[in-house]
Amino acid sequence: MARSATSARGGPRERDETDAARGEESPADRSGPPALAIDGLTKRFGEGDDAVTAVDDVSLTVERGSVVGLLGPNGAGKTTLIKCALGIVIPDAGSVRVFGTDVRDGRRTAYADVDAMLEGARNDYWRLTVRENLRYFATISGVDPDSVAARHDRLLDRLDLADKADTPVRDLSRGMKQKVSLASVLAGGAELVFLDEPTLGLDVESARTLRAELRRLAVEEGLTIVVSSHDMTTIEAVCDRVVMLSNGRIVADDGVEALLDAADRDAVRVASPDLDAETVAGLRESFEILDVDREARPPAVTVAAGGDRFYDVADALRAAGVTVSDVRTVQPDLEEVFLERTGTASDASLGGESP
Amino acid sequence: MSADATPPEEPATEGTGDAARAGDDPRSATYYHLARAVLYREFLIFVRYPANAIGGIVVSLFFFGALFLGGQLLAGQALTDSIEGIVVGYFLWTLSVGAYSSVSNDIGSEVQWGTLERHITTPFGFAPVALLKGVAKVVRTFITSAVILAAMLLITGTRLSLAPVTVVAVAGLSIVSVLGLGFAAGGVTVLYKRIGNWLNLLQFGFVALISAPVFDLPWTRVLPLAHGSAMLQRAMVDGVRLWEFPLADLALLVAVALGYLFGGYLVFQYATARARRLGVLGDY
Repeated sequence: MARSATSARGGPRERDETDAARGEESPADRSGPPALAIDGLTKRFGEGDDAVTAVDDVSLTVERGSVVGLLGPNGAGKTTLIKCALGIVIPDAGSVRVFGTDVRDGRRTAYADVDAMLEGARNDYWRLTVRENLRYFATISGVDPDSVAARHDRLLDRLDLADKADTPVRDLSRGMKQKVSLASVLAGGAELVFLDEPTLGLDVESARTLRAELRRLAVEEGLTIVVSSHDMTTIEAVCDRVVMLSNGRIVADDGVEALLDAADRDAVRVASPDLDAETVAGLRESFEILDVDREARPPAVTVAAGGDRFYDVADALRAAGVTVSDVRTVQPDLEEVFLERTGTASDASLGGESP
Repeated sequence: MSADATPPEEPATEGTGDAARAGDDPRSATYYHLARAVLYREFLIFVRYPANAIGGIVVSLFFFGALFLGGQLLAGQALTDSIEGIVVGYFLWTLSVGAYSSVSNDIGSEVQWGTLERHITTPFGFAPVALLKGVAKVVRTFITSAVILAAMLLITGTRLSLAPVTVVAVAGLSIVSVLGLGFAAGGVTVLYKRIGNWLNLLQFGFVALISAPVFDLPWTRVLPLAHGSAMLQRAMVDGVRLWEFPLADLALLVAVALGYLFGGYLVFQYATARARRLGVLGDY
């Protein structure tokens, strides 16, 4: 699949807003037991022939202060994994430790530092105002709301909700409701936050703002965030590390950069008015042609050409008498990595949210 | 914020060392803070959305009006003779329906909104929140039912003994048993989402419980409402005061109230635990 350079790594997506914030984590955040340690987690639904193994022997450690993405198509087990980690779904096997405390040992300690924004739910009270929601959820998370009033002001400020602090949530737009949901999750000072499909159903602009805010909050507040999404853009923009799930199993677990680098799919996209069918057929004899775009002006081909193969492509083009108008490198994105690892298309390529 | 998240030698205000965190001094919330938060939320919703309460009052009075006028046409003097008992019974019925449906519907809504799970994953859990909500619903129901009672007395020209302590104690304890049924119904709704609406029909069964023949069939006293209803009749119609009731009657009233509340709560706990195993909690 050809990708234009603008959508390739380093292109002008919202990464430029977030890259600056990335890499400022202080090493002090990474001391003590990990924020989340999942070991051998398994969850089956149903019985007999109809039984479905939603999560299959998953082990995963999330260090403090990191932002980890759970990537996979619907039904891969992302939500079940998160719900098991939260104790909302009780696993059949395996253990979950949050900041060193086993979730089964007792709620008081394990739950004090965790909260979650779950997919498709309101997550807060629409008949209360934004600030009332923050105060309520801070209290039930075990924090006296008066003692974190300043934090709430800061959160509202940061999420551009300060003007709406005294507006009932039901009167807000969808994007704002989503931000209130996030704010209410952070209101109690949770240090490990699960966000299940945080940008689902948001328009492009709201999704972009939310992604940038997530990245900023992670760094400035020293949060540990686990984001599940089937939207590659969100994961690439927000996460340091990606865990890819397919059929309840982890199929890849690495840093975003490492995963992208490991994907041996570097290619060049060459545009030229001389690229007629005959020339392309000639190139195809010696190179792997990934894409031919005859509609483009001028026409373009994308040729797999990692490393020194680029010189061979250049030589072949000269030999064929092609005058190059434009040449760009095309680097893989997480979607291609995912395809490579699982052999299945993610939802994003099937018409999910586009950047 | 837990102790292991903030090193002991470092004050909480400094947190991760981010200057932006200055001014925060998170303190643990106690049950006092929890009670304040839950009750304040109920209060806000009650005063901010009075249409629900007013609508309930209007519907209740409409039914009573139809009952009273229709009854006068059909039964004439016989109805007038027993009107005091009918007013008291209807008052207790509006209280019961208010407590039952507010609790069961509330749990259903929390499931739908995804807020029930958020309570489960907190240090307090849902239990104290549910009990506090129950208290708020009972208070709220007393306010609306008092308006209905006053209107009924005006419409019928009836006089009743309204000693506040006696009425609130006897009626309050009577409907605590219904609150337990509300929790049980809420629990069933968590597991089987669609059954919730059907369970609302149970409130018409309360009529039978309120008019249960406790003198002819003494065992019916252990059913919810029945014993309390008989006591409320004596208190409001015959003017018996709280301290004039035999101790055994009062003890049974308290035992029935707590028994059903506890039983209903166990059903709710069992249902949510099962929902967590089946993975259907909040899976609306």
